Parts: sequence; structure tokens; C-alpha cells
Amino acid sequence: MELIRSIIETASVFVLPALIVGFPLYGLLKKVAVYEEFVEGAKGGFQVAVTIIPYLVAILFAIGMFRASGAMDFMVEGLRPLLGIFGVPPEVLPMMIMRPLTGSGSAAIVLDMINQFGEDSILVKMVATMFGSTETTFYVIAVYFGAVNIKKTRHAVPAGLIADIVAMFAAIFVVKWLFG
Amino acid sequence: MLNYIWAGLIILSLVFGMVYDINDLASDTYRNGQAFEVNVEPNAPVTDDDRRIPVTVAIDAAGYQSFYGVTSSPDSTYQGVIIRNQEGMQLRFAQDASIPEPWATIRAETSERDNDLRGPLNGWQTAGGAASVTFSEVKFVKMRAIASAALTMAELAVELALGLIGVLALWMGLLQIAEKSGIINSVVRVTQPVLRPLFPDIPKGHPALGMIVLNLTANMLGLGNAATPLGIKAMEELQTLNEDKETATDSMVMLLAMNTASVQLVPPVLLVALMGLQINQLIFAIIIVTGISLVVAIASAKLLSKTKRFRTATPKLSTEG
Repeated sequence: MELIRSIIETASVFVLPALIVGFPLYGLLKKVAVYEEFVEGAKGGFQVAVTIIPYLVAILFAIGMFRASGAMDFMVEGLRPLLGIFGVPPEVLPMMIMRPLTGSGSAAIVLDMINQFGEDSILVKMVATMFGSTETTFYVIAVYFGAVNIKKTRHAVPAGLIADIVAMFAAIFVVKWLFG
Repeated sequence: MLNYIWAGLIILSLVFGMVYDINDLASDTYRNGQAFEVNVEPNAPVTDDDRRIPVTVAIDAAGYQSFYGVTSSPDSTYQGVIIRNQEGMQLRFAQDASIPEPWATIRAETSERDNDLRGPLNGWQTAGGAASVTFSEVKFVKMRAIASAALTMAELAVELALGLIGVLALWMGLLQIAEKSGIINSVVRVTQPVLRPLFPDIPKGHPALGMIVLNLTANMLGLGNAATPLGIKAMEELQTLNEDKETATDSMVMLLAMNTASVQLVPPVLLVALMGLQINQLIFAIIIVTGISLVVAIASAKLLSKTKRFRTATPKLSTEG
């Protein structure tokens, strides 16, 4: 386990430099005007960033308001008894609700729980696994679809959320099974 | 779908904010305008022309609990300072002192800049003893909070987006080279047999597949910084195949679903930073969980695209690649 991990770790350290050096190097061998092509492509970066802005503002301000209004706490309270039936510890509930909405907010939950229960506790292992296993779905939707001006997202939200919910429950059971 | 969720978030915040605020008003959570009894002892003998008097404030926990009707209790003593001028005396608690609710909210609302709980002090003798302090009125906490959250998050969104420019430019430049030199084509050729079934509407040999592979790989290796530009590039390639430029195609949704639930061989940098060495134990768990969620993501993207509700909105694909 340790060995596999260190191999993967090392590989991931080398991937970036390899790509950043490898692409231009290979391009040079193929007689591509690498500098000119790089600049040509890089021009798109600014355009994309600016295109994303309205989508990101729309998503983030709505989520920010929702968090600030205390609605989140209310949802946690309301869902607590219901999810208890499925073996969800009440302490991890805020994470389950927060994770698809905000990355920084859910990181703060992990940090808070580490301070409260210690890194060793099974609850922290659960929330950390949740954090590592899922994405800030709404942010990803805003950025990826925003970049190409897609407004009608069709089944992207339900598909992403279903995957998130399954991952959250899977995290609870897998951590229970491995460490419980 | 997103329309309803988005509007729902906004409307719910207003409703909940109002309920909280009305509840605060009705139960007078902050005891607005009422004097609270404290015991204040000067740290050193006070002379007549002292303007700043360092003091120790003693608080009776039971008195605090019955006054505010809460179960949390403050520390038994706090350091503080009394500011004395013509208008009278003002008691200021030490900056950033750890205080329980509802004091924490009163402080946050009334002393945003200095972060010290403060209020006029009445009936205090310089020799020390009992006195009463009245804090400023606190009202409509949540209403103010949601308004300011909306504004700060709007700013944050722009910061986030503009912060991406550099990384985006770097990767889009590199990808341009990769495309021109044929690297993307080779990637497409190798991975086509596995990925085509998931993205059936991408024509054979199209560069979109190559970008998708690079994006998913970067994601697996926990390279969030690289994964985002690669994913955006993949979306751009998919958009060239899309006839209705405002509506997502099946492939776009599939890519998005796979991104939100991609297998993580290396956990994201942020989590490693938070968890330290403990992360070692979790890698296996994260791989299992993301494996499960990836399968679920693919299945739900596939199945949902066939449901009546979403199928009718499927945009036509252009026939030429």
C-alpha cells in the first residue's frame, strides 16, 4: 500500500514538468513553430476567464446568501433525524450539504472537525474522505459550462448531484468498514 | 433544473433570513437596551486624569445565562479597558477575546473594525465594584448578512475567474502546441476504444476525445490547477460539435459528471494540507469511493439523457466533424 502510494505520488510530481517541457519539445521535433503557437493558444486564456465571470457570479452569490441566511443550519436540523435512520452520524451532515455548494466552506468544516475531534477520529476520516471524493459540483458547472456559454444545463445538475450523494454515503460506509 | 435551484437558493435565503430576524426581535435575543450587571476592578489605582483605565471584568456565569436565556457561559473574567471622557465611561473588552453567543454576534455587528465588545458603563466607582454595561442595539442580523454575502461573493467570483487567467493561458498555449504537433491525435487514437462508448456523439478521431482524456488524467492525479483548463478546452472542442450553442449536449454532461466524480489516485492538495500524514490512511478509501461514484455518475448521465424530460431538449448534432 505504502509502495503503491509513493509510486503514484512521485508520478504525480513528475507529470506537470513532463507535460510542460514535453509538449514544446515534441512540437520542436515535429517542426512546429512552438513559441508562436503557444502565444496563439494562450490568448484564449483571458477570453475564457472573462466569459466565466457572469456564470460564477450568479452561482456564488446565491450560495453565499443561502449560507449567510442560516438556511443551511435549518436544513441540517431538519435532515438529521431522517438521515440518522440510514446510519449517518449527525456530525457529518453539514459536510454533506455544504460540499457540492462551496469548496472553501467545506474545507473549513474539515478543519473545524479536526480541531474538535482530532485527526484520528472516525468522523474526521469520514468528512475528509467526502471532501477528497467529491467536487464542488456547482462551481464546476459554472466554470465548465460558463466557459462555452452553455446556459441550458439539462441533466448536468441531477447527474452531478446523484454522484455526489452516492459518494457521500459510500464515504461513510467505506470508512466504517475500513476503520470502524 | 438549475433555474429552479438558483431561484430557490435566493428565495430561501430571504425567507430564512426573515424568519431568523423576526424570531430574534420577538424573543429579544440580544436584550437590546437592557443593562447587564458586571463587576469591574481596575488593574492599578486610578488617578483623576486617567483617560484609559485597564480593568478586569468579572462576569457571573449564572447571571449571564439567565439574562440572555442561553446555556453557554462566558469566561469568569476578561481583560478590558475603560475609556473615560466628558460623555461618561465606555467599557471595552479586550480585542478578539473569546466570548459566547449572543455576545459574539453583538460584537461582530457593533464593533466590526476593532472586534472588541463595547458599551457605555454606568454606576462605576473608580475604586472598583459592580456596574452595568449597555451594549448597542442589534437588529436584522441575517438581513444584513445576506446582503453583504451577496456583494462579497460577487466580488469573490470575479477574483476567482481573473485568478484563472494565468493558468488558463499557460495550458491553452501548451495545448495549442500539443494539437499542432499531433500529440492530441495520438492520445485520441489510443484511448478511443475505451472512451467512444461514453461519448458516442463525438466523431471518430476528433481532438475533443484527447482533451477529455488529458482532463480526466489530470483530475485523477489531483492536479486541479491543470485539470480545469484542460476541461475547459475539452468543453470548447465539444461546443464546436454542438448546433445549439446554449444547450449542453450529452457528451458535455457526461464530461461534467465524470469530472465531479472522478477517481482520485492522489487526493487534492488542499486535503493533504489539512490532514497531514493522516491522509495516507484515507487514500484507499478515497479510491474506492470515487470508483463507486464514477460508475454512478456515468450511469446517471447516460440514463437521465434518455428520460423524457431531458431527451426532448437534446440539441441536434452537426453532421460534419
